[in-house]
Amino acid sequence: MIKRKGLRSAAVAIAAFSLIAGACGGGDDTATEETTAETTAETTAETTAALPGEGILACQVTDTGGVDDKGFNQISYKGMQDAEASLGVTIDLLESASDADYAPNLQNFADKGCNIIVTVGFLLGDATKAAAEANPDRNYAIVDFAFDPAIANARGLVFATDQPSFMAGYLAAAMTKTGVVSTFGGINIPPVSIFMDGYAKGVAYYNAQKGAKVKVLGWDTAKKDGTFAGNFNSLDDGKNIAKSQADEGADIIFPVAGPVGLGSAQFAKESGGKVKIIGVDVDMSISNPDAAEVYVASVLKNIDAAVLAAITDTVNGVKTSENYVGTLANGGVGVAFTAVPAGLQAEVEAIGKGIADGTIKI
Amino acid sequence: MNQVNQVAESLVLSAEQKKRARNVGFAYLGLAVITMLVFSRRPGDAGFRLTEGGALLTLPAQQIAWIFGLVFVGLGSAQLWRGFGKISNIVLALATAMFVMSFLSWATAGESFSLVGMLQDTVARSVPITLGALGGILCERSGVINIAIEGMLLAGAFTGAVGASLTNLWFGTVIAVLTGVLLAWILGVFSIKYRVDQVIVGFAINFFALGITSFLSFRVLVPNPDYNSLVPVMPISVPLLSKIPFIGQIFFVQTIFVYFSFAAVALLTWSMYRTRWGLRTRAAGEYPKAAGTLGVDVIKLRYRNLLIAGAVAGIGGAWWPIGTVGRFDQNITGGRGFIALAAVIFGRWHPVGAFSGALVFALAEAVRLKIGNFDTGIPSEFLLMAPYFVTLVVVAGFVGVSRAPKAAGQPYDEQ
Repeated sequence: MIKRKGLRSAAVAIAAFSLIAGACGGGDDTATEETTAETTAETTAETTAALPGEGILACQVTDTGGVDDKGFNQISYKGMQDAEASLGVTIDLLESASDADYAPNLQNFADKGCNIIVTVGFLLGDATKAAAEANPDRNYAIVDFAFDPAIANARGLVFATDQPSFMAGYLAAAMTKTGVVSTFGGINIPPVSIFMDGYAKGVAYYNAQKGAKVKVLGWDTAKKDGTFAGNFNSLDDGKNIAKSQADEGADIIFPVAGPVGLGSAQFAKESGGKVKIIGVDVDMSISNPDAAEVYVASVLKNIDAAVLAAITDTVNGVKTSENYVGTLANGGVGVAFTAVPAGLQAEVEAIGKGIADGTIKI
Repeated sequence: MNQVNQVAESLVLSAEQKKRARNVGFAYLGLAVITMLVFSRRPGDAGFRLTEGGALLTLPAQQIAWIFGLVFVGLGSAQLWRGFGKISNIVLALATAMFVMSFLSWATAGESFSLVGMLQDTVARSVPITLGALGGILCERSGVINIAIEGMLLAGAFTGAVGASLTNLWFGTVIAVLTGVLLAWILGVFSIKYRVDQVIVGFAINFFALGITSFLSFRVLVPNPDYNSLVPVMPISVPLLSKIPFIGQIFFVQTIFVYFSFAAVALLTWSMYRTRWGLRTRAAGEYPKAAGTLGVDVIKLRYRNLLIAGAVAGIGGAWWPIGTVGRFDQNITGGRGFIALAAVIFGRWHPVGAFSGALVFALAEAVRLKIGNFDTGIPSEFLLMAPYFVTLVVVAGFVGVSRAPKAAGQPYDEQ
């Protein structure tokens, strides 16, 4: 009996251990060491002259979408890799498996002595604010969030993505064969809905200009509400929403939901060319080669450039709380054309210029 | 003695049934109020498209609301007065369908939408929940609580994606099955052999699966996109059956995973109630001592059922990469395994019941995705909550008395 009891507590201990190991899944220590080791090896091999960023540790915490989402988190991480290559900084990454991981991940990096910590996503706003206030000697930058009131050592990296989305909406309205286009989001938060809003307004602009009656499903400009998957990880939701909207006639769909949109691309692929997708954040015809043929265009949000800019400031010893705002004018956002007729492309580019110089108001 | 017990049991049950009957009666009246006060507010015809081409069923939203509302009043009164006896469940199902119809007429008044497409999605989406729930039933019927369904689904999705990307879809499915079996075996070793609390082990497995698949996804799949890229199976039209108007499109133009889940429900129902294995399984879950005394090897039986459950859940996990979206992403299952647990309880540990539970949840999800495209004034956050709310209401309210196998959660001691 005693023996059995011993076994039992051992088993409980092992179960508890696996629970803890599971909870910290993204942040495995050996993995971090490996990354660091590789980086050091690479930098010594590649560079002869010392780069300005050597000795600087730049760290990134993702949201729950994960760094392989072929979009948002992935391009943020590319900004880190660019900084590693061009500035010689050492980089490190922690992924968040759930909302509960944000604060521990940030604490982990603060303890580790990161010079700048970049958090990816609006959802990390509160956690980043708390971490920045607790660690005034470290720099923080957060994608898609602006601090109000400002925090001396933290800055927001925000993007006027309604501008390129407006262009995409116009483009979709011009290209639809059924007269119905659609969009949907991951979660109804400002950095997601701003895309959908710009898109719907772009369609409305096309209707006003050409006297057309193209209908938008999935976003109501007046009510600021629409169709949402409710998460950023269930690809099957993305496939089902796309099917649901295609059943209502939509033939060009603009998913603003990170990897969930990959499910929509799969649906478009199976539709045999009837349904097309507009990519989001990055040029998805390149980042998602499996379904490259389903994309007509992509709305670009050049987060990598913003992340690189923030790290560059830290390397140069600049400490600022000023937000970075990416626009069509400064190249922080844009549209990548994949399968758009040349004439229409010129028309849409002209609209982009109009938005940049202020002649077209969104 | 036995007869006395039976009589006593039927008395207890009838008291509980009375309470339940009363609750259901009030629920009908509640539906009547909502239908007549809310759903009658919008004029216009709602068009339900019954085929992909566009055969339209047109319902006047306001009239439908009033008519169905009155029917609900009638049903509620009849239920409170004397109940429906043997046909209560059929009446309940009909009432639910009518409520959904009047809701949809209200939501889409003045427009039309594809009813057939929505129901087709419902069936497709029920697959992982159904298979997960069958995994739960197999375990719990033999006396082991299986909280780890979510972990089995997630791990199966991961290994299924990698296996299928590297070789072919069949091999991927087999690997997913083996993964489910492995996790089930771990659950078995801890909960049957070492008698650790089954709920705790289950949760540990869930977190372990989430952590390890997220970690491997980042370390292995991101640098090697080829490991996570496959062409999923396409829907197959069943000859003849798929030609049945409306129904055929919904049930018989689906992927092989859907047909497998139909078959699994039928097979498990038959074997649970018609075979020696089923009798022994139920005995081991209700009163393992008696089963043991009569020569059933309870430990072995529980292990075997657990491993079968792992295999079924593994196929449920393979549904994500192989059956629908063609790749794995972190936490792709998104808690569907926990919904499967609810479906087990909703279905009172019966395969057909669990299948209907899965359909109810999947229908609620399909409806919310559809409604988001129409101007209803319902906030999207509320719509997101709705499927879970429906599950909660159904499990807590309508199911009422649902009795778990008596020995579920208790380790078996051979002495």
